[in-house]
Amino acid sequence: MDFDVKHIAKLAMLQFTDEEAAEFEKEFASIVGMVENLPELESAGTLLDESDTMELREDTVTPSYPRDEMLKNAPHAVAGCIVVPKTVEQ
Amino acid sequence: MNSVNERYEVIVGLEIHAELCTKTKIFCGCKNAFGAEVNTLCCPVCMGLPGSLPVLNKQVVDYAIKMGCALGCTINRVSKNDRKNYYYPDLPKAYQISQFDVPLCEHGALDILVDGEVKRVGITRIHIEEDAGKLIHDDAFAGSLVDFNRCGVPLIEIVSEPDLRSAEEAKAYMEAITGILLYLGISDAKMQEGSVRADVNVSVRPRGQAEFGTRTEMKNVNSFGAVYRAIQYEAQRQIEVLEAGGVIEQETRRWDDAKGVNYVLRTKEDAQDYRYFPEPDLLTFVVSEQHVRELADSVPELPVAKTLRYVKEYGLNQDDAQLLASSKPRSEFFDACVALNKCDKKAVSNWMIGDIARILNERRIEVGDTKLTPEKLTDMIVLIEKGAISNTAAKTVLETMIDEERSPDEIVREKGLAQVSDTGALLAIVREVLAGNAKAVADYKNGKTNVLGFLVGQCMKASRGQGNPAMLREMLAKEIETV
Amino acid sequence: MELYRKSASQLAAMLRSKEVSAVEIARETLARIEAAEPAVDAFLSVNAEAALTQAAEVDRKLAAGEAVGALAGIPVAVKDNICTKGTATTCASKILEHFAPPYNATVVEKLLAADAILPGKVNMDEFAMGGSCENSAFKATKNPWDTTRVPGGSSGGSAASVAACEVPLSLGSDTGGSVRCPAGLCGIVGLKPTYGAVSRFGLVAFASSLDQIGPMARTVDDAALLFSVICGQDAAHDATSKPYAFSGIEEMRDCKGLRIGVPAEYFGEGVSDEVKAAVRKAVDDYRAMGAEIVELSLPSTPYALSAYYIISSAEASSNLARYDGVKYGYSGRRDGSLNDLYLTTRSEGFGKEVKRRIMLGTYVLSSGYYDAYYKRAKMLQRMIAREFSDAFERCDIIVTPTTPATAFGLGEKLGDPLAMYASDICTTTVNIAGLPALSVPCGFDAAGLPIGMQLIGPKWSEAKLLGAAKCYETAKGGFAVKEM
Repeated sequence: MDFDVKHIAKLAMLQFTDEEAAEFEKEFASIVGMVENLPELESAGTLLDESDTMELREDTVTPSYPRDEMLKNAPHAVAGCIVVPKTVEQ
Repeated sequence: MNSVNERYEVIVGLEIHAELCTKTKIFCGCKNAFGAEVNTLCCPVCMGLPGSLPVLNKQVVDYAIKMGCALGCTINRVSKNDRKNYYYPDLPKAYQISQFDVPLCEHGALDILVDGEVKRVGITRIHIEEDAGKLIHDDAFAGSLVDFNRCGVPLIEIVSEPDLRSAEEAKAYMEAITGILLYLGISDAKMQEGSVRADVNVSVRPRGQAEFGTRTEMKNVNSFGAVYRAIQYEAQRQIEVLEAGGVIEQETRRWDDAKGVNYVLRTKEDAQDYRYFPEPDLLTFVVSEQHVRELADSVPELPVAKTLRYVKEYGLNQDDAQLLASSKPRSEFFDACVALNKCDKKAVSNWMIGDIARILNERRIEVGDTKLTPEKLTDMIVLIEKGAISNTAAKTVLETMIDEERSPDEIVREKGLAQVSDTGALLAIVREVLAGNAKAVADYKNGKTNVLGFLVGQCMKASRGQGNPAMLREMLAKEIETV
Repeated sequence: MELYRKSASQLAAMLRSKEVSAVEIARETLARIEAAEPAVDAFLSVNAEAALTQAAEVDRKLAAGEAVGALAGIPVAVKDNICTKGTATTCASKILEHFAPPYNATVVEKLLAADAILPGKVNMDEFAMGGSCENSAFKATKNPWDTTRVPGGSSGGSAASVAACEVPLSLGSDTGGSVRCPAGLCGIVGLKPTYGAVSRFGLVAFASSLDQIGPMARTVDDAALLFSVICGQDAAHDATSKPYAFSGIEEMRDCKGLRIGVPAEYFGEGVSDEVKAAVRKAVDDYRAMGAEIVELSLPSTPYALSAYYIISSAEASSNLARYDGVKYGYSGRRDGSLNDLYLTTRSEGFGKEVKRRIMLGTYVLSSGYYDAYYKRAKMLQRMIAREFSDAFERCDIIVTPTTPATAFGLGEKLGDPLAMYASDICTTTVNIAGLPALSVPCGFDAAGLPIGMQLIGPKWSEAKLLGAAKCYETAKGGFAVKEM
């Protein structure tokens, strides 16, 4: 078992103080130790499950929501849009 | 410089993203439309509200399979969706529902025509996924604005093998893909609205070298021209790096089409870890063999096959054939004319590529928007073939047929366009012209027999275009001797 | 008997015979909530006005002779991870503290269509992650049987509100035992339905492939009544929901011919002697009622907890990525970069346990680890499901303890995540296999705390599970209700 708390935190979009990170590292060792309790199993192939399948939806329009309702919970909205700190292209 | 370039081979692979023209979005019933007012085509699913769930649109699956059939792919009738996790404000759930290890279609190929040659391009896979929203950058605001209307618009991603060997080939390939999307009626393929975009992978290698060079990727290049220019630029850049003794880094670059340059966006080190895993809100789905067969049967003859058939069966030259075949409505019109089997196929092609195309292009309409029908066009050509009207008169007939319901016969009658083949009437004209052109007659007698053409022209003018030119020529040749 | 102690079925009968009005029931309920809350702390929000309006509407319908729904006038408490239009749906998290969804969950629509009264939203572990209800960002709910102890989790508010007779019915959600464990610890009935039986649309996701909404009640009949209202396919909104015709409890006069499987792995180390003894006693009671007891083995059981924490955390890490301070909920530092906004929102908005799960889930999905953890866990999931279906060739239902021990003290396990995770050892297998399971009270420990037994059935066997539970309930003369 090897993991880098800082790297995982970056992927998870979380930040920890050094103290928190140290605590997490300790806890994580035991949690990961627990979940490593898995038998050796054939893990080739895909995770398709033909025994449990879904129906697809017909291409029929249902009304969209009023914009005000969709934006009501937004921390910051202007001109019918949600505002985020200025982005540079991804 | 050229000699240096000739020592290198350019290798290109394209990932083309095309928005599908379904009525609704891929995972909810909101309308799939372009250009609506910001955030008015949204529901809890589009905006990733807590508790919302996706339900897959059948039409999206059908359209993707149709494309797969058109590109000769194996269809994975048992398939699934996967989550691709990353953070960006235009992606409200912070994951994109896509397909990872079991795409709907894989292992296909597309034949394209480059410089008259058929070139086969391998298709690695086609998968379905959702589009993201749009970020609006406005200097009036300190931040960026997010419009979620485009979230959930269905996309297919068509991934090619690295089989393209030049910017020309890549451009031809992208045009061919776009043509097929339009032929199948599954995408509007409007570049200017961003409904077709390409990620371009480019590498170069010294000719003769078997293994590929390191490749770079340019994201979201969104026109045929831009694809061409981006590849030209990037290949040149890589060659220069290699020639200077450098190495190519595997990285993502952004193509700035306005400035004609690209720059690094992401290096290999900060490559993202997307943590793909099966979308647990959706289950495995199965498409029946029968349904796949129905979809395959609904795929029409595609442009390249059509072009080659026009050349082979009707003796059209390849450029003309390609021009006709590249447009679905025009080729369908042509095919309908041919099916009537009334007249010369080449004549139909000439009229369609010539006068008809000119009028359509001038008016920015398609042939279906006019009153012209295959019956009327072929009837008109038959009139020409019979000598009942001249080519000149036919142009007038055509212009009238495009705007009016009447048949060519009616138009010829009403406008008095019938070709005059009455010997007596023509003879009078011939005599009149000969009398009025003494100098030409004299030239003729002195051996300048090519003035006959000029005299035929004069006769046509005198007959207001209605004289039968072949008869006029014959009569002129006879009468001139008697002068 | 006071009105508030009556079951939903009793209240429905009284309402029909005009012994009581819906508004009277609603008033009594609100009064009881006010009286019990200082000790129990089950509710996160109470909406008295809406409850009284809904009740008045039921009375109007009854007076006008109009048809009313199956839950007419019956108060139902709703777990705070189930969306209620225009009112707070917080998941007991700071990150959704002021979130009011613009839509109702399908189950809420069904409750309203059945003329139920919704007096408020109840407490839970944040995002349903936890087994004690102490991971709520707002308060810790107490066990009505001993208010120094936890009610269990994550649907602790749902369980405590029913056990304390604040409401006759509540909705919880169950991802690894979150309906059954608190039902067991609070001495009530809790059903985790077959995966796909109840629409998840509007249930704020924890682990999509495991989550199910389930009914909680003081009697088996009441649990069945609530289940009959909420189950059924929701093809327009939830692709994982399946067609299901639940036609009520299977009537059993006795248990003759019922084959009850008892898997050895659920009575091993880690389960307290008192719990084992109580469940064994219940099995003997079943034998006395004519059931045939089949001793069996489910050998993959010891791995289930690992598979559960891998799958549920992986899905959670992705499901909870949307809480980024942009569209709704708590928003962190807005005057910096986009990354600052993301990091501060999530780091300040999520509690410790939620962060643990997100970190674990991110880790098991990250490049290079997917096959070793996630894929292996999914393979194990198939193995566990297969073992269950093999077992159901030999028996009709399986009986196990619901929890390894009775309710523990508030704060007792807070510093020890592994000890907390271990309280799910008897319940996670059921979610992993997608099966239905019911927790019913089967006695008390020496301290007078309730013990629950779990009845597990094959997919879509809710009618039989409820039937078997009702036989037991009848034989016991009903389940004890805490006097408060």
